[in-house]
Parts: sequence; C-alpha cells; structure tokens
Amino acid sequence: MSVWDLLSDHTVRVVLLGCTMTGAVSGALGCFAYLRRQSLVGDVVSHSALLGIVLAFWIVYGVTGQGNRSLMVLMPGAFVAGLASLLLTRRIQRGTRLKEDAGLGVMLAIFFGTGMMILRYLQRASPPIPGRAGLDHYLFGMAGAMTRADLWMIAAVGSAVLIAMILTWSRLKIITFDQQYAAGLGLSVNGLEVLLLTLIVLGIVIGLQIVGVVLMISLLVAPAAAARQWTHSLGVMVWLAGFIGGVSGAIGGLVSAIGPSLPTGPIIVLNVTAIVALSMALAPKRGLVSKWRRRKVIHVD
Amino acid sequence: MSIELWTLAIAVVTAATCGLCGSVLVAGRQAMVSEGLSHAVLPGLVIAFIAFRSFDSPWLIILAAASGLIMVVITRAIAETGLVDSDAGLGLVFAAMFSIGILLVNLNLKNTHFHADCIVDGNLALAALDRIEVPMVGRVPKSFLTMSVTLLIVLAFVMVAYKELKVMLFDPTHAARVGLRPVLLGYCWIALVSLTTVTAFEVAGSVLIVALMIAPAASAFLLTHRLSKYMTLSVVLAIIDSVLGFYLARTLDISPTGPIASMAGLVFLLVYALNPSRRDAVSNHRVPTAQQHPNHMLRCLSCEVISGTRTPQDAANQLCNRLGFDGSEATQMVQDLITCQWIDQSGASLGYSITPEGQQAIDQVLA
Repeated sequence: MSVWDLLSDHTVRVVLLGCTMTGAVSGALGCFAYLRRQSLVGDVVSHSALLGIVLAFWIVYGVTGQGNRSLMVLMPGAFVAGLASLLLTRRIQRGTRLKEDAGLGVMLAIFFGTGMMILRYLQRASPPIPGRAGLDHYLFGMAGAMTRADLWMIAAVGSAVLIAMILTWSRLKIITFDQQYAAGLGLSVNGLEVLLLTLIVLGIVIGLQIVGVVLMISLLVAPAAAARQWTHSLGVMVWLAGFIGGVSGAIGGLVSAIGPSLPTGPIIVLNVTAIVALSMALAPKRGLVSKWRRRKVIHVD
Repeated sequence: MSIELWTLAIAVVTAATCGLCGSVLVAGRQAMVSEGLSHAVLPGLVIAFIAFRSFDSPWLIILAAASGLIMVVITRAIAETGLVDSDAGLGLVFAAMFSIGILLVNLNLKNTHFHADCIVDGNLALAALDRIEVPMVGRVPKSFLTMSVTLLIVLAFVMVAYKELKVMLFDPTHAARVGLRPVLLGYCWIALVSLTTVTAFEVAGSVLIVALMIAPAASAFLLTHRLSKYMTLSVVLAIIDSVLGFYLARTLDISPTGPIASMAGLVFLLVYALNPSRRDAVSNHRVPTAQQHPNHMLRCLSCEVISGTRTPQDAANQLCNRLGFDGSEATQMVQDLITCQWIDQSGASLGYSITPEGQQAIDQVLA
C-alpha cells in the first residue's frame, strides 16, 4: 500500500486530521501551563476528567437509553470535572495548611478513583450498556476510534480556543508572567486567571481521546518544554509547541490507523519525549551540547 | 479464613503501608513523587516479567524498585540542568517510562493477566487466590505475606530513624548542620516508598497507590500538629478507607481498588468540611482582602502621597498633581482609603497619616 493509498482512505484521513489538530491545540495551550509551573496540575486535571467522561456517558444513557461515546457528549463532562478539580485544589491550598502537591494528590483520589469506580461499574452493569466497550480507551487513548462527528467537535472547540487566545493575547501574556503588574494596570486578575485556566483545561480535554487521561501530561507539557529550548519569545514558543504537538499527534494517529491495535497515547508520548530530549541536547546557546562545547573552548584557552 | 476475608486483609495491610509512606511524603511536600513512582515502576516490572516469565522471581521487585529510583535520579538530573521546570521534568519522565511499560505489555504480554486494565486498577480480587503454605498458620495468600513484610520494613525504618526523619522534614538545613545527611536519608526513604509501590502494584494498581499514600495523610495533616499522632492517624484513616471501599466494592460487584480510592477521597472531603483548624489557618495565613483589590499597588502609592496632607481636597489635589489622577478618581480614591482605614486623621500632625493596617499593606508590597 503506497502512502497515497493510505491517505485516500477515509478513516486514516479522519484520524490523521483529528490527531494533528488536537496535538497542535494541546501543545500550544500547554505553553501557558508550563510557564506557570502548572505541569502537574495538568496531570491531575486530565486524570480528573475521567470522572466527567463516565458521568456524562452514564447520564446520557439514563436519559436517552443509548450509550453515546461521541465527543459532543463526553467533552463537556470532561471539561466540567477537570475545572472542578482545579478549583477545588486551589480552595484547599488557600484554606488549609496543605500545600499544592497534597491537594493535587487528593484530587486524584476523589476524581480519578471515583471515575475508575464508575467506569468499572458501567462495564459490568447488566443488562450491558451499548457502546460501553470503548469507554476504557480514554485511559490510554485510541485515535482509531475517532469519528467524523468527533472531528467536527475537535475543529469547533480547537478553533474557538485558539481565537480566544489570539484575541486576549497581550492580557494572557501579562497574567502568565506578572500578576502583580497586571493588577497594577487595573486589569481584572481573577477574571483573566479564570480565562487562562479555562483555556488550559480545554487544551487538556481536547487531547484526551488520542492520548488518554493517564498520559495527557506529556502532550500538554512536552511540546512546550521542547519549544522553550529554542526561543525566548512567547509567540514563537506557542507556534513551535503547536507544531511539535501536531506532528507528534499525526505520527501517533498514523501508527494507530495502520499498525497493530496499540493504544495511541504511549506512542505519542515517546515521540514528544524524544523531541524534548533532542531539544535539550541540541538547542543553540541553552543546549547541553553547546554548553559542553563552550566549556571545552574555555578549557583550551 | 475465607477468600473474602483474605482479600480484605490484603487491602488493609496495603493501606496501612501506603498510609505510613504517604505521611512522610505529604509532610515533606513530595506528594506528587508517589504519582511519579506509581507509574515509573511499570517498565522494570514488565522487563523482569518478560525475562523470567514468573511473578515469583525476586527480580521483579528488585528491577521495578530500581526503575522507580531511576525515575527519581533522572528527574533530579533534569532539574539540575535548569533547562526544564522541575515539575514538568517529573511529569515527562514518569509518563515516558509508563508509556514504555504499556507498549511492552501490549506487544509481548497480550494474553497474560498482565493486561492494561490491571496496570491501572490492580488485581486485588485475584490476589487472595494465590496462596502458599505457611507452617502453623495454614495457607496464606502470597501478597499478604509480601505486603506484611514490606509494612514491617517501613515501620522498622520509621521507628529507628524517627528523630532523623523529623529533623529532615521540618528543618533540612539544621539536619545537614548536625551531620544527619538529609539528602542520603531522603534517598533511603524514596527507596522504601519505591519498594512499597512495587509490592503494592500487583495488588492495587497505580490509582490506589497514589490515593492511599496521599489522601489519608492529607486528612490527618488537617487534624493534628504532632508528627507521631499525624503518622498514626494517617495509617488509621488509610485502614478505614480500605474497609469502607472494600464493602462498597462488594455491593457494586466490582474490583475494590476504585472504590477504596474514592472512599479515601470522600473521607478527606469530610475531614476538610468539618475541619476544626481551618478557621485558624485562614486567619493566620490568608492575606488581608485589601491586597486582592485590583488597584492594590496604586492604593499603596496613594497612601504615601496623601500622608501629611490636611484636608480631603488637599489630598485629592496631591493625587492629581503627583499621580496623574483626574478629579473624580482622586476623590474616590481618598474616600476608599478612608473607608478601608488605611489612612486617618488620628496622628499627632492633624493631617492624614497612614494607619498600621495601611502600613502593613505597603510593607507586604515592598517585601
């Protein structure tokens, strides 16, 4: 089968397009999570989304009697659960002596633990719920399960998120780097903060179908970490991270569409991690190789 | 003992061990290390299983624990290069290692009971079936024995090194000064946590390990200030969580790991909601609401400009001249500052002076 045959196949095209878009959106928005040092927050938000996914599935089944696994149903659930875990962590951190890391760990117990419980319950419930079989693909990702309707949902949410990012670009930049300065300018810090967190959560939620809740942290943070090595400018970093995320997503999607039925998540994760390692080694000025060479020159002098 | 009771017993011992390990992690602000470890032990476990094709080989435990330690070492190395934020470094390394494990399982071990489901939520229900003969006691599940031994090792370490752990947790600089080598002790502790993660992994899977290490410890942290009481309470709560979760799972007829994790979370929420010490924590540590005002900096600056002026009109003029306010803004600002009691006329000089509250707000900005 030639590459052309492959690309003319309908399923392959849907999967490839979907994975590229989600990878690009998650990668671009991940820059904000990375720069705000909220990488592990991203990990917990993505785990927590599982509860929203299974609850949304369950509720829709209860109302319509049909098991519906389309993103149109599951994505809002994932978004609400992800944002709830994030806000609850902040509340706990502000209201008690506990630090952020403990708050995050507790969210894993509450949201991911309960999510797993309901997932297993739905899988065993009798009579069997139609469509429940693919629910556990959300653990490690399965790009092959993407449908045309999912593609539209991804395109709609992805472009809405990117347009929101471009429209509020300068404010997002200020709130990311210097909240006090933003307050001094009279900007509404809380409002912008909520906007930024919403965007980050959407960036996570959109990628869950291809990477899965367990490994989503990589697709969110790795493109940003790699891009950061090559530039000091936020604009360039976001573009570059989007590009890296898109390419990694596409590779994962291709392997998933043609290869043996492997979960897509791990393939994408190893891909982006390799790009981070290469960037850390090779980037000009910051990179380990260039540092090592400079040290050598000094030694010779 | 019946299979059901043995399952409960295994859950309880696992919970107690995780609760004890977690208490030190939470107090040392390393809670998320357990999330990293519970993922990073997988490749070691899988490679050892592929090599020896048996769950009984001690190499499984050795290689998996080593794999957890490798994760910690790589994460530290990445943090030291300064190229990647340390949180992100941890996330990237454990996700990559976990991915390697998952792919190996999918490629090589499709038909063993090592499949992907068990990696996340373990095999607690099956663990009680695999028994060996113990003299005097009878047939005992193997996982119960390994977990009990792990619990004893961790407990012995805590008893012996209690003082050192305490100093390490609350004052690492002092620990280094008195020659206690907090870094070495820290690594020993992580090695023990890694060992616990490995032995618990087969039984509990990655979800439950993290939940049982962090949630009971976090609940105990809210309930007491004494280290010894805190550690005991963490173990007790972990045991309560496991019993509650076990019976919930039996009602729903599913694997007990999800329900136990969920119960651990709910018990935390309960403690958090009823928490007696929350109010002190809020009044002690929360910054005054004035600081959250969006114009905080401007208000502080205005205080400084206004202090020494005699009348509200004079104060407003000063704001207009020196900070470029227009008339109505200036009057509003003077009003605001008087309302929130940052300036008043109680000083000796007859004019406006900055109150202690105002001074505190300004000092916070300067600090």
